[in-house]
Amino acid sequence: MDLKILWMYHDLMDLYGDKGNTQVLKIRCEKRGIDVTLDTCTIGETRDIRDYDLFFMGGGADNEQGLIYQDLLSRRDNIAQAMEAGTAFLLICGGYQLFGRYYRDQDGNTIDGLGFFDYYTESSDRDHRCIGNIALETTMDGETFKAVGFENHGGQTKNVASPFGKVLSGHGNQYRSGFEGFMNEQVVATYMHGPLLPKNPKIADKIIARALKRRYGDVTLAPLDDTLENNAREVMLKRLGVL
Amino acid sequence: MDIRLKFVQTVQAVLAKAGRGGSLPGSIALKMDPHFIEKFVMPKTVVLVTGTNGKTTTQNLIADSLREAGLKTINNHRGDNLNIGIASLLAANSDSSFRVQADAAVVEVDELTVYRQFRNLHPSVMVVNNFFRDQLDRAGEMETIIRKIQEVTEDFEGDLVLNGDDPNVCRIADSAKKARIHFYSVAKQSSSKTVTDEASEGKFCPRCGKRLVYDYYQYSHIGRFHCDECGFGKINPEVVIENIDYENQTFMYDGREYHNFLNTIYSAYNCAATLCVMKVLGLNPANADETFRTMVLNEGRNEVFELSKPCVINLIKNPTGSNETMKFILAQPGRKNICILLNDNDQDGHDVSWIWDAHFERLNVPEVNKIVCSGLRAYDIALRLKYEGLEDRVVVIEDAKEAVRWLDEQDLESHIMATYTALHSTRAILRKEAAAHGS
Repeated sequence: MDLKILWMYHDLMDLYGDKGNTQVLKIRCEKRGIDVTLDTCTIGETRDIRDYDLFFMGGGADNEQGLIYQDLLSRRDNIAQAMEAGTAFLLICGGYQLFGRYYRDQDGNTIDGLGFFDYYTESSDRDHRCIGNIALETTMDGETFKAVGFENHGGQTKNVASPFGKVLSGHGNQYRSGFEGFMNEQVVATYMHGPLLPKNPKIADKIIARALKRRYGDVTLAPLDDTLENNAREVMLKRLGVL
Repeated sequence: MDIRLKFVQTVQAVLAKAGRGGSLPGSIALKMDPHFIEKFVMPKTVVLVTGTNGKTTTQNLIADSLREAGLKTINNHRGDNLNIGIASLLAANSDSSFRVQADAAVVEVDELTVYRQFRNLHPSVMVVNNFFRDQLDRAGEMETIIRKIQEVTEDFEGDLVLNGDDPNVCRIADSAKKARIHFYSVAKQSSSKTVTDEASEGKFCPRCGKRLVYDYYQYSHIGRFHCDECGFGKINPEVVIENIDYENQTFMYDGREYHNFLNTIYSAYNCAATLCVMKVLGLNPANADETFRTMVLNEGRNEVFELSKPCVINLIKNPTGSNETMKFILAQPGRKNICILLNDNDQDGHDVSWIWDAHFERLNVPEVNKIVCSGLRAYDIALRLKYEGLEDRVVVIEDAKEAVRWLDEQDLESHIMATYTALHSTRAILRKEAAAHGS
C-alpha cells in the first residue's frame, strides 16, 4: 500500500510549524508499512493534483498569501477534478481561507478564493485577533473526540455550513465563536496550528484513512503507541479545564 | 530638580547598597510618570541596538569597545530592553536634572517597541542585526515589525548600521533616505553553503517581488543574496569579516587578525556589527579586539556549571537560535546528555509550534546519549523528538529540579537548552546543585 501526498506551497505557506503535519502523516504511515511519497509544489511548478491521495496546504503570512493566490486560482479546475476523483484535503489557516469565496484583508483589499465552499473570511481589527490555545470536540467519520491546537488568525470566517468542531476553549472561526473550521467527507479545514497532527493522532489517522480510500477503499489502520501524543494533548486539555 | 527622579534614584541607591539592582526603580518611575524616559538629556553618542537574535551580546560588545576606547559609556548590559529596564538605566546614570552623565549610551531596544524608544532616546547610531521568526503570537508577522522600523527610520538623519547579509535588514536602507547607511558583512567561508534547509525568510525580493538569488548561505537566511531583476542586495559593505579560523578562533578584518569570542558564525556577525560602529564613530578597532578577547557572555549564554560533570546552559527562543545552539553543542567533542526545557509563559511566547521549524533531527547522532524533555510543555518537545526517530533516547521529566538532578546523576557532560522563563529558574537550580558539589 502506498500514499501520495502533495504539499502545496511548502516554501511559502509554512508558518507556525505546519510542516510538522507532513512529518506526522509520513511516520504514522511508515510505521504501518505504508509507503509515502511526499511531493511539494510551489508557484509556477506543474503537478497534476489528480495523482495524489492527499492535498495538504498550510498557513502563511498576509504577504505570502498575496504571492500565491493567483497561482492557486490558476489550478482551480485541476483541484476540482481531484476533489471529484476522491482526493482528501487537509487545509490549515490560509489554506482553509482560500478554499472559500474570498478573503478581505484589513485595508479592504479582497482576494478571490477558489470558491469551492460558501464560507468567506474578513479581517478583524487588532482587538479581535484570535490568539491562544484552543480545544474543541469533533465528530470525524463516526467518532467523537477532543482535539487541541493553537490559533492565531485575524480573519473571521463566516457562513460555514459544517464546522470541523465545537469549541470547548478558545475562539474558533470568529472571535469568541462557538465553532471551528470546516469539514465534509473529504476536506478538513481548520485554523488549528500547533501543528495540528502531532498532539491529535486520531485526526492524523482519520486523514490517512480518508486519503487511502480513493484507491484502497475502507482501510483499518493498525493501532500505534500514542502515549506521548496523548500526554501532550491531556496537559493542554487539563490546563484549559476541558479534560 | 525633579522630586520623582530624586525618589527613584534614592530607591536605586538603597537597593545598590543592599547589593541589588533590578527593575523596581524603573517600574516605580514609569508608574509615577509615563513620560519619564522622554525627559532625559541624552549624551551626544547614543547607539541603539535592535533585531531578533544576539542583541544583548552585540550591545555589550559595542559598549565595552567604547569603554576600551576611553568613552564613559552606559548600557543595559543584562538586556533589559523594555521601558522599565531603559528607565532604570537612565535614572541610575543621570544627575538630578535628567542629564545623563556619560559620553555614550548603548541601548538595546526590543524590536517590537523600537518605534516608541526611537523618539525617546534620540539615537545617533542605530544598529539592526537580523530578523528571524520569533514569538509570532506576541509579535505578529515579521513584516509588521520591519514596516514599523522602516517608519521610524524614514526621517532618521544619523548613522544606520545594517547587516548587509540579511535581506530584511538590508531593505531598511531603501526607506531611510536621510540616514547615512553603513553595511557590514561576513565574506564566504569554508562553512558557507550554497543550499540550505534553514532559511524561512529571504525568499523574495522586498523591492520587486522576484525570487532572490543566493550565492551562499552562512546560517538561516543570512548570506550573500541579490535580485537579478532590480539589483537589490548589490551593496558595498564598509566592514567585511574574512577568513574565519575555527581552529584558532580568529578572523581577519582590514588586514588584521581578531579574536572570535564564541567561535561561531553568528558571533562573527556580532563582531562585524561592533567593528562597523567603531568605524562610524571614528574609534580604533583594536579596542574592539580587546573586548572580543575578554568578553564574558551574559548569564545563561553558554554558561558552565560544575555538576558531577560540566553542564552548559543556553537560551533558546526561536528556530534559528535553536539551530545554532545545537550546532554549537554538537561541535563539542564527546558523548553528552541533552536537556530541553520548554515553557510557554508570556515571555517565552504561548505558541510552541516553532519547535517544528527548528532542526531537532540534528540531535540524531551517536554522540547524543539521552535527551531529557522538561518544562511546562515537556511532552510537546518529546513528541517533536519522537517524530525525528529519537523516541528511544527521550526521557520526560516535567519538573526542572528533577531534570537537573537526573543530569547530575549521570556520568556524562550535559547541555541544557531552555526557553526564557525556564532559563532563569533553572540557573538558580544549577547554582545550588553546583554549590553542593563545591563544598
